[in-house]
Amino acid sequence: MLLTLLSGCATQTRALLARTHTELPSQLELKATPFFPQELYQCGPAALATSLRAAGIAAEPDALVSQVYLPQREGSLQAEMLAAGRRNGALSMTIPARLDALLTEVAGGNPVLVLQNLSLPWVPMWHYAVVIGYDLERGDIILRSGTTERLVLPMSTFEHTWARSNFWGMVTLAPGKLPVTAQEAPLVDALVAFEKGSDPATAHRAYAAAVERWPRNLALLLGLGNSAYGAGNRPAAVEAFSRATRQHPDSAPAFNNLAVVLNELGDYAAARVAAETAVALDGPWRAAALATLQSIPLTQPHKKPHKKP
Amino acid sequence: MIRKLKQLCVYVLATSLLFAGFTQSVQAAMISTDQIVASGNAQQERAKLASALDRPEVQTQLEKFGISQSDAQARVAALTDAEVASMSSQIDSLPAGGNGVIGALIFIFVVLLVTDVLGLTKVFPFTRSVR
Repeated sequence: MLLTLLSGCATQTRALLARTHTELPSQLELKATPFFPQELYQCGPAALATSLRAAGIAAEPDALVSQVYLPQREGSLQAEMLAAGRRNGALSMTIPARLDALLTEVAGGNPVLVLQNLSLPWVPMWHYAVVIGYDLERGDIILRSGTTERLVLPMSTFEHTWARSNFWGMVTLAPGKLPVTAQEAPLVDALVAFEKGSDPATAHRAYAAAVERWPRNLALLLGLGNSAYGAGNRPAAVEAFSRATRQHPDSAPAFNNLAVVLNELGDYAAARVAAETAVALDGPWRAAALATLQSIPLTQPHKKPHKKP
Repeated sequence: MIRKLKQLCVYVLATSLLFAGFTQSVQAAMISTDQIVASGNAQQERAKLASALDRPEVQTQLEKFGISQSDAQARVAALTDAEVASMSSQIDSLPAGGNGVIGALIFIFVVLLVTDVLGLTKVFPFTRSVR
Protein backbone atom coordinates (compact mmCIF):
# COMPACT_ATOMS: atom_id res chain seq x y z
CA MET A 1 0.00 0.00 0.00
CA LEU A 2 2.77 2.39 1.00
CA LEU A 3 4.78 1.37 -2.05
CA THR A 4 1.88 2.20 -4.36
CA LEU A 5 1.46 5.52 -2.66
CA LEU A 6 5.11 6.31 -3.04
CA SER A 7 5.59 5.01 -6.55
CA GLY A 8 2.29 5.78 -8.20
CA CYS A 9 2.65 9.47 -8.79
CA ALA A 10 5.33 10.05 -11.41
CA THR A 11 2.68 10.51 -14.07
CA GLN A 12 4.58 12.96 -16.26
CA THR A 13 7.62 10.67 -16.39
CA ARG A 14 5.49 7.73 -17.38
CA ALA A 15 3.79 9.69 -20.13
CA LEU A 16 7.07 11.11 -21.40
CA LEU A 17 8.92 7.82 -21.48
CA ALA A 18 5.97 6.04 -23.05
CA ARG A 19 5.91 7.99 -26.27
CA THR A 20 8.53 8.35 -28.97
CA HIS A 21 9.93 11.82 -29.38
CA THR A 22 10.63 13.59 -32.60
CA GLU A 23 11.14 16.98 -31.06
CA LEU A 24 13.59 16.02 -28.30
CA PRO A 25 16.94 14.28 -28.68
CA SER A 26 16.82 11.05 -26.68
CA GLN A 27 19.95 11.94 -24.70
CA LEU A 28 21.49 15.26 -23.90
CA GLU A 29 24.02 16.55 -21.42
CA LEU A 30 25.27 20.12 -21.11
CA LYS A 31 28.71 18.95 -20.05
CA ALA A 32 30.24 22.41 -20.16
CA THR A 33 28.02 23.61 -17.31
CA PRO A 34 30.32 24.76 -14.50
CA PHE A 35 30.17 23.21 -11.05
CA PHE A 36 30.17 24.99 -7.71
CA PRO A 37 29.99 22.53 -4.84
CA GLN A 38 27.75 23.92 -2.16
CA GLU A 39 28.68 24.71 1.40
CA LEU A 40 26.37 23.91 4.28
CA TYR A 41 22.79 24.93 3.35
CA GLN A 42 24.00 27.21 0.62
CA CYS A 43 22.64 25.29 -2.32
CA GLY A 44 20.83 28.44 -3.46
CA PRO A 45 23.96 30.53 -4.06
CA ALA A 46 25.81 27.55 -5.52
CA ALA A 47 23.01 26.69 -7.92
CA LEU A 48 22.55 30.32 -8.92
CA ALA A 49 26.27 30.75 -9.57
CA THR A 50 26.17 27.64 -11.75
CA SER A 51 23.22 28.96 -13.68
CA LEU A 52 24.71 32.43 -14.17
CA ARG A 53 28.11 31.12 -15.22
CA ALA A 54 26.44 28.83 -17.72
CA ALA A 55 24.87 31.96 -19.23
CA GLY A 56 28.28 33.54 -19.54
CA ILE A 57 27.83 35.87 -16.58
CA ALA A 58 30.65 35.98 -14.04
CA ALA A 59 29.40 34.97 -10.60
CA GLU A 60 30.73 33.33 -7.45
CA PRO A 61 28.60 31.63 -4.79
CA ASP A 62 30.20 33.65 -1.99
CA ALA A 63 29.14 36.91 -3.58
CA LEU A 64 25.61 35.60 -4.03
CA VAL A 65 25.18 34.50 -0.43
CA SER A 66 24.30 38.00 0.71
CA GLN A 67 21.80 38.32 -2.12
CA VAL A 68 19.80 35.15 -1.62
CA TYR A 69 20.74 33.31 1.55
CA LEU A 70 18.66 33.89 4.66
CA PRO A 71 20.57 32.65 7.67
CA GLN A 72 17.50 32.46 9.89
CA ARG A 73 15.69 30.40 7.26
CA GLU A 74 18.82 28.46 6.40
CA GLY A 75 17.83 28.76 2.78
CA SER A 76 16.96 30.99 -0.15
CA LEU A 77 13.56 32.16 -1.27
CA GLN A 78 12.46 31.55 -4.83
CA ALA A 79 11.54 35.17 -5.51
CA GLU A 80 14.95 36.25 -4.33
CA MET A 81 16.62 33.71 -6.58
CA LEU A 82 14.88 35.33 -9.54
CA ALA A 83 15.69 38.83 -8.35
CA ALA A 84 19.33 37.99 -7.71
CA GLY A 85 19.62 36.61 -11.22
CA ARG A 86 18.46 40.00 -12.50
CA ARG A 87 20.75 41.91 -10.19
CA ASN A 88 23.64 40.06 -11.72
CA GLY A 89 22.63 41.12 -15.21
CA ALA A 90 20.68 38.09 -16.38
CA LEU A 91 17.16 37.73 -17.66
CA SER A 92 15.58 35.53 -14.96
CA MET A 93 12.41 33.70 -15.60
CA THR A 94 10.55 30.62 -14.47
CA ILE A 95 9.81 27.91 -17.00
CA PRO A 96 6.37 26.34 -17.44
CA ALA A 97 5.79 23.91 -14.57
CA ARG A 98 6.06 20.69 -16.57
CA LEU A 99 8.64 17.98 -17.08
CA ASP A 100 8.48 18.20 -20.87
CA ALA A 101 9.12 21.95 -20.67
CA LEU A 102 12.14 21.26 -18.48
CA LEU A 103 13.59 18.82 -21.01
CA THR A 104 12.81 21.14 -23.92
CA GLU A 105 14.64 23.98 -22.21
CA VAL A 106 17.68 21.83 -21.47
CA ALA A 107 17.62 20.50 -25.03
CA GLY A 108 17.71 24.13 -26.15
CA GLY A 109 21.05 24.54 -24.38
CA ASN A 110 19.83 26.17 -21.16
CA PRO A 111 20.42 24.43 -17.83
CA VAL A 112 17.43 24.79 -15.52
CA LEU A 113 17.67 25.66 -11.84
CA VAL A 114 15.06 23.63 -9.97
CA LEU A 115 13.69 23.52 -6.45
CA GLN A 116 13.21 20.05 -5.05
CA ASN A 117 11.92 18.66 -1.82
CA LEU A 118 14.24 15.76 -1.26
CA SER A 119 12.30 14.49 1.73
CA LEU A 120 8.67 13.89 2.56
CA PRO A 121 5.96 16.55 2.29
CA TRP A 122 5.54 16.83 6.03
CA VAL A 123 9.27 16.98 6.75
CA PRO A 124 10.52 18.95 3.75
CA MET A 125 14.14 19.20 2.77
CA TRP A 126 14.24 21.96 0.19
CA HIS A 127 17.11 21.93 -2.21
CA TYR A 128 18.17 23.91 -5.25
CA ALA A 129 19.97 22.07 -8.02
CA VAL A 130 20.64 22.56 -11.72
CA VAL A 131 19.38 20.14 -14.36
CA ILE A 132 21.97 19.75 -17.09
CA GLY A 133 20.80 16.72 -18.99
CA TYR A 134 18.59 13.69 -19.38
CA ASP A 135 18.43 10.26 -20.94
CA LEU A 136 15.04 9.22 -22.24
CA GLU A 137 16.11 5.62 -22.98
CA ARG A 138 17.34 4.98 -19.47
CA GLY A 139 14.79 7.29 -17.90
CA ASP A 140 17.37 9.44 -16.12
CA ILE A 141 17.84 13.10 -15.20
CA ILE A 142 21.33 14.53 -14.76
CA LEU A 143 21.98 17.35 -12.31
CA ARG A 144 24.68 19.45 -10.71
CA SER A 145 23.53 19.06 -7.14
CA GLY A 146 25.00 19.85 -3.75
CA THR A 147 28.51 18.47 -3.65
CA THR A 148 27.89 16.05 -6.54
CA GLU A 149 29.13 17.27 -9.89
CA ARG A 150 27.18 14.71 -11.84
CA LEU A 151 24.14 13.37 -10.05
CA VAL A 152 22.04 10.89 -12.01
CA LEU A 153 18.50 10.39 -10.75
CA PRO A 154 15.75 8.21 -12.13
CA MET A 155 13.36 10.59 -13.82
CA SER A 156 10.46 9.31 -11.70
CA THR A 157 12.35 10.09 -8.48
CA PHE A 158 13.22 13.49 -9.82
CA GLU A 159 9.59 14.10 -10.67
CA HIS A 160 8.52 13.19 -7.14
CA THR A 161 10.97 15.60 -5.57
CA TRP A 162 10.25 18.32 -8.10
CA ALA A 163 6.46 17.97 -7.87
CA ARG A 164 6.57 19.04 -4.24
CA SER A 165 7.77 22.50 -5.23
CA ASN A 166 4.97 22.61 -7.80
CA PHE A 167 7.52 22.03 -10.52
CA TRP A 168 9.37 25.28 -9.91
CA GLY A 169 12.26 25.87 -12.25
CA MET A 170 14.04 28.95 -13.57
CA VAL A 171 16.64 29.93 -16.12
CA THR A 172 19.07 32.81 -16.11
CA LEU A 173 20.05 33.95 -19.57
CA ALA A 174 22.30 36.57 -21.08
CA PRO A 175 20.17 39.52 -22.24
CA GLY A 176 19.30 38.97 -25.88
CA LYS A 177 18.62 35.28 -25.36
CA LEU A 178 15.13 34.02 -24.61
CA PRO A 179 14.07 30.82 -22.88
CA VAL A 180 13.04 28.20 -25.43
CA THR A 181 9.82 27.62 -23.52
CA ALA A 182 9.08 31.31 -22.91
CA GLN A 183 5.44 32.33 -23.17
CA GLU A 184 4.36 35.82 -24.09
CA ALA A 185 2.78 37.19 -20.91
CA PRO A 186 5.32 35.82 -18.39
CA LEU A 187 8.13 37.03 -20.64
CA VAL A 188 6.72 40.56 -20.66
CA ASP A 189 6.67 40.55 -16.86
CA ALA A 190 10.21 39.18 -16.68
CA LEU A 191 11.51 41.78 -19.13
CA VAL A 192 9.80 44.69 -17.40
CA ALA A 193 11.34 43.54 -14.12
CA PHE A 194 14.69 43.22 -15.87
CA GLU A 195 14.40 46.69 -17.39
CA LYS A 196 13.88 48.27 -13.98
CA GLY A 197 17.29 47.15 -12.72
CA SER A 198 19.25 47.19 -15.93
CA ASP A 199 21.09 49.80 -17.96
CA PRO A 200 19.00 50.87 -20.95
CA ALA A 201 21.29 49.49 -23.65
CA THR A 202 21.19 46.00 -22.15
CA ALA A 203 17.45 46.19 -21.64
CA HIS A 204 17.13 47.22 -25.29
CA ARG A 205 18.99 44.11 -26.36
CA ALA A 206 16.67 41.98 -24.28
CA TYR A 207 13.54 43.62 -25.66
CA ALA A 208 14.81 43.39 -29.24
CA ALA A 209 15.07 39.60 -28.97
CA ALA A 210 11.55 39.40 -27.54
CA VAL A 211 10.06 41.69 -30.19
CA GLU A 212 11.48 39.40 -32.86
CA ARG A 213 9.42 36.58 -31.44
CA TRP A 214 6.33 38.62 -30.64
CA PRO A 215 6.38 41.60 -33.03
CA ARG A 216 2.86 42.77 -32.19
CA ASN A 217 3.08 42.88 -28.41
CA LEU A 218 2.45 46.43 -27.20
CA ALA A 219 4.38 46.23 -23.93
CA LEU A 220 7.41 44.80 -25.71
CA LEU A 221 7.35 47.52 -28.38
CA LEU A 222 7.02 50.22 -25.73
CA GLY A 223 9.82 48.64 -23.73
CA LEU A 224 11.93 48.60 -26.87
CA GLY A 225 11.26 52.29 -27.42
CA ASN A 226 11.73 53.32 -23.80
CA SER A 227 15.02 51.47 -23.51
CA ALA A 228 16.27 52.92 -26.81
CA TYR A 229 15.38 56.38 -25.54
CA GLY A 230 17.09 55.71 -22.23
CA ALA A 231 20.21 54.65 -24.10
CA GLY A 232 20.16 57.94 -26.02
CA ASN A 233 19.15 56.38 -29.32
CA ARG A 234 16.26 58.64 -30.32
CA PRO A 235 15.85 57.42 -33.90
CA ALA A 236 15.49 53.83 -32.68
CA ALA A 237 12.98 55.03 -30.08
CA VAL A 238 10.94 56.78 -32.78
CA GLU A 239 10.98 53.62 -34.85
CA ALA A 240 9.81 51.47 -31.98
CA PHE A 241 7.07 53.86 -30.87
CA SER A 242 5.88 54.34 -34.46
CA ARG A 243 5.57 50.59 -34.80
CA ALA A 244 3.62 50.53 -31.58
CA THR A 245 1.20 53.21 -32.80
CA ARG A 246 0.66 51.39 -36.09
CA GLN A 247 -0.03 48.06 -34.38
CA HIS A 248 -2.03 49.63 -31.55
CA PRO A 249 -3.72 52.82 -32.74
CA ASP A 250 -5.62 52.99 -29.46
CA SER A 251 -2.56 53.17 -27.23
CA ALA A 252 -2.19 56.60 -25.67
CA PRO A 253 1.21 55.78 -24.11
CA ALA A 254 2.61 54.86 -27.53
CA PHE A 255 1.51 58.19 -29.02
CA ASN A 256 2.63 60.11 -25.97
CA ASN A 257 6.10 58.64 -25.91
CA LEU A 258 6.42 59.07 -29.68
CA ALA A 259 5.51 62.74 -29.27
CA VAL A 260 8.13 63.25 -26.58
CA VAL A 261 10.94 61.88 -28.73
CA LEU A 262 9.80 63.67 -31.89
CA ASN A 263 9.67 66.89 -29.91
CA GLU A 264 13.24 66.38 -28.75
CA LEU A 265 14.33 65.68 -32.30
CA GLY A 266 12.80 69.01 -33.33
CA ASP A 267 9.99 67.57 -35.47
CA TYR A 268 7.36 69.72 -33.75
CA ALA A 269 4.60 69.23 -36.30
CA ALA A 270 4.73 65.44 -36.09
CA ALA A 271 5.13 65.61 -32.32
CA ARG A 272 2.03 67.75 -32.10
CA VAL A 273 -0.01 65.30 -34.15
CA ALA A 274 1.10 62.39 -31.97
CA ALA A 275 0.47 64.28 -28.74
CA GLU A 276 -2.97 65.39 -29.86
CA THR A 277 -3.82 61.79 -30.70
CA ALA A 278 -2.66 60.73 -27.25
CA VAL A 279 -4.84 63.36 -25.61
CA ALA A 280 -7.84 62.45 -27.75
CA LEU A 281 -7.50 58.78 -26.76
CA ASP A 282 -8.28 59.79 -23.17
CA GLY A 283 -7.93 57.26 -20.35
CA PRO A 284 -5.50 57.18 -17.43
CA TRP A 285 -2.72 58.81 -19.47
CA ARG A 286 -4.58 61.95 -20.45
CA ALA A 287 -2.80 64.20 -17.97
CA ALA A 288 0.61 62.99 -19.12
CA ALA A 289 -0.39 63.43 -22.76
CA LEU A 290 -1.61 66.96 -22.08
CA ALA A 291 1.68 67.82 -20.41
CA THR A 292 3.51 66.47 -23.43
CA LEU A 293 1.31 68.44 -25.82
CA GLN A 294 1.82 71.64 -23.89
CA SER A 295 5.58 71.23 -23.88
CA ILE A 296 5.80 71.26 -27.68
CA PRO A 297 6.82 74.71 -28.87
CA LEU A 298 4.29 76.53 -31.00
CA THR A 299 5.68 76.65 -34.49
CA GLN A 300 3.82 79.85 -35.36
CA PRO A 301 3.44 82.97 -33.19
CA HIS A 302 0.01 83.32 -31.63
CA LYS A 303 -1.98 86.57 -31.55
CA LYS A 304 -2.61 87.75 -28.01
CA PRO A 305 -6.35 87.75 -27.33
CA HIS A 306 -7.67 91.25 -26.64
CA LYS A 307 -9.72 91.22 -23.45
CA LYS A 308 -11.19 94.14 -21.55
CA PRO A 309 -9.98 94.06 -17.90
CA MET B 1 -8.39 103.96 -10.34
CA ILE B 2 -5.94 101.94 -8.21
CA ARG B 3 -8.26 99.01 -8.46
CA LYS B 4 -8.33 99.19 -12.25
CA LEU B 5 -4.56 99.41 -12.27
CA LYS B 6 -4.35 96.35 -10.08
CA GLN B 7 -6.66 94.47 -12.39
CA LEU B 8 -4.58 95.49 -15.36
CA CYS B 9 -1.41 94.33 -13.64
CA VAL B 10 -2.96 90.99 -12.84
CA TYR B 11 -4.13 90.62 -16.42
CA VAL B 12 -0.72 91.47 -17.86
CA LEU B 13 1.07 89.19 -15.42
CA ALA B 14 -1.28 86.33 -16.11
CA THR B 15 -1.03 86.64 -19.87
CA SER B 16 2.74 86.99 -19.84
CA LEU B 17 3.06 83.90 -17.66
CA LEU B 18 0.72 82.09 -19.97
CA PHE B 19 2.77 82.73 -23.08
CA ALA B 20 6.31 83.39 -21.93
CA GLY B 21 6.73 80.59 -19.43
CA PHE B 22 4.69 78.05 -21.35
CA THR B 23 7.35 75.78 -22.74
CA GLN B 24 9.35 75.65 -19.51
CA SER B 25 6.59 75.25 -16.97
CA VAL B 26 5.19 71.92 -18.23
CA GLN B 27 7.45 68.91 -18.58
CA ALA B 28 6.79 66.25 -21.15
CA ALA B 29 6.81 62.85 -19.54
CA MET B 30 7.73 59.50 -21.01
CA ILE B 31 5.42 56.83 -19.69
CA SER B 32 7.59 53.99 -18.42
CA THR B 33 7.06 50.37 -19.43
CA ASP B 34 6.27 49.17 -15.95
CA GLN B 35 3.63 51.88 -15.55
CA ILE B 36 1.96 50.68 -18.72
CA VAL B 37 2.11 47.01 -17.80
CA ALA B 38 0.89 47.67 -14.28
CA SER B 39 -1.98 49.68 -15.70
CA GLY B 40 -2.82 46.88 -18.11
CA ASN B 41 -2.73 44.35 -15.28
CA ALA B 42 -4.85 46.62 -13.13
CA GLN B 43 -7.41 46.81 -15.90
CA GLN B 44 -7.52 43.02 -16.07
CA GLU B 45 -7.92 42.77 -12.32
CA ARG B 46 -10.65 45.35 -12.39
CA ALA B 47 -12.47 43.38 -15.07
CA LYS B 48 -12.16 40.26 -12.92
CA LEU B 49 -13.64 42.08 -9.96
CA ALA B 50 -16.44 43.50 -12.06
CA SER B 51 -17.31 40.07 -13.36
CA ALA B 52 -17.25 38.71 -9.80
CA LEU B 53 -19.98 41.21 -9.05
CA ASP B 54 -21.88 39.90 -12.04
CA ARG B 55 -22.32 36.49 -10.47
CA PRO B 56 -26.03 35.75 -10.01
CA GLU B 57 -25.74 34.89 -6.32
CA VAL B 58 -23.89 38.11 -5.67
CA GLN B 59 -26.38 40.13 -7.68
CA THR B 60 -29.43 38.78 -5.86
CA GLN B 61 -27.84 39.52 -2.52
CA LEU B 62 -26.91 43.01 -3.57
CA GLU B 63 -30.51 43.64 -4.59
CA LYS B 64 -31.64 42.53 -1.15
CA PHE B 65 -29.45 45.22 0.30
CA GLY B 66 -30.91 47.74 -2.05
CA ILE B 67 -27.67 48.21 -3.94
CA SER B 68 -28.23 48.40 -7.65
CA GLN B 69 -25.78 46.57 -9.85
CA SER B 70 -24.77 49.75 -11.61
CA ASP B 71 -23.94 51.33 -8.26
CA ALA B 72 -21.82 48.36 -7.27
CA GLN B 73 -19.97 48.49 -10.57
CA ALA B 74 -19.42 52.21 -10.14
CA ARG B 75 -17.97 51.58 -6.68
CA VAL B 76 -15.54 49.04 -8.10
CA ALA B 77 -14.54 51.59 -10.69
CA ALA B 78 -13.75 54.00 -7.87
CA LEU B 79 -11.24 51.68 -6.17
CA THR B 80 -7.56 52.42 -6.61
CA ASP B 81 -5.44 49.94 -8.56
CA ALA B 82 -3.83 48.70 -5.35
CA GLU B 83 -7.18 48.08 -3.74
CA VAL B 84 -8.42 46.25 -6.80
CA ALA B 85 -5.36 44.01 -6.81
CA SER B 86 -5.73 43.25 -3.13
CA MET B 87 -9.43 42.44 -3.45
CA SER B 88 -8.90 40.44 -6.58
CA SER B 89 -6.28 38.17 -5.04
CA GLN B 90 -8.49 37.55 -2.05
CA ILE B 91 -11.39 36.60 -4.25
CA ASP B 92 -9.07 34.25 -6.12
CA SER B 93 -8.29 32.37 -2.96
CA LEU B 94 -11.97 31.73 -2.31
CA PRO B 95 -13.34 28.65 -4.09
CA ALA B 96 -15.70 29.36 -6.96
CA GLY B 97 -19.40 29.37 -6.21
CA GLY B 98 -21.71 26.35 -6.22
CA ASN B 99 -21.76 25.73 -2.51
CA GLY B 100 -24.31 27.99 -0.79
CA VAL B 101 -22.05 28.70 2.17
CA ILE B 102 -19.16 29.68 -0.04
CA GLY B 103 -21.39 31.87 -2.17
CA ALA B 104 -22.45 33.67 0.98
CA LEU B 105 -18.83 34.18 1.99
CA ILE B 106 -18.06 35.73 -1.34
CA PHE B 107 -21.13 37.86 -1.06
CA ILE B 108 -20.32 39.09 2.43
CA PHE B 109 -16.87 40.02 1.38
CA VAL B 110 -17.97 41.88 -1.70
CA VAL B 111 -20.93 43.60 -0.13
CA LEU B 112 -18.92 44.76 2.83
CA LEU B 113 -16.43 46.18 0.41
CA VAL B 114 -19.14 47.99 -1.47
CA THR B 115 -20.83 49.31 1.65
CA ASP B 116 -17.45 50.40 2.97
CA VAL B 117 -16.93 52.43 -0.12
CA LEU B 118 -20.46 53.78 0.16
CA GLY B 119 -19.64 54.87 3.68
CA LEU B 120 -22.17 52.61 5.36
CA THR B 121 -19.57 50.44 7.06
CA LYS B 122 -15.83 50.51 7.66
CA VAL B 123 -14.69 46.93 7.69
CA PHE B 124 -11.71 47.10 5.38
CA PRO B 125 -8.87 49.44 6.12
CA PHE B 126 -7.98 49.96 2.51
CA THR B 127 -11.22 51.37 1.14
CA ARG B 128 -11.95 55.03 0.72
CA SER B 129 -15.50 56.03 1.49
CA VAL B 130 -17.25 58.01 -1.20
CA ARG B 131 -18.54 61.14 0.41
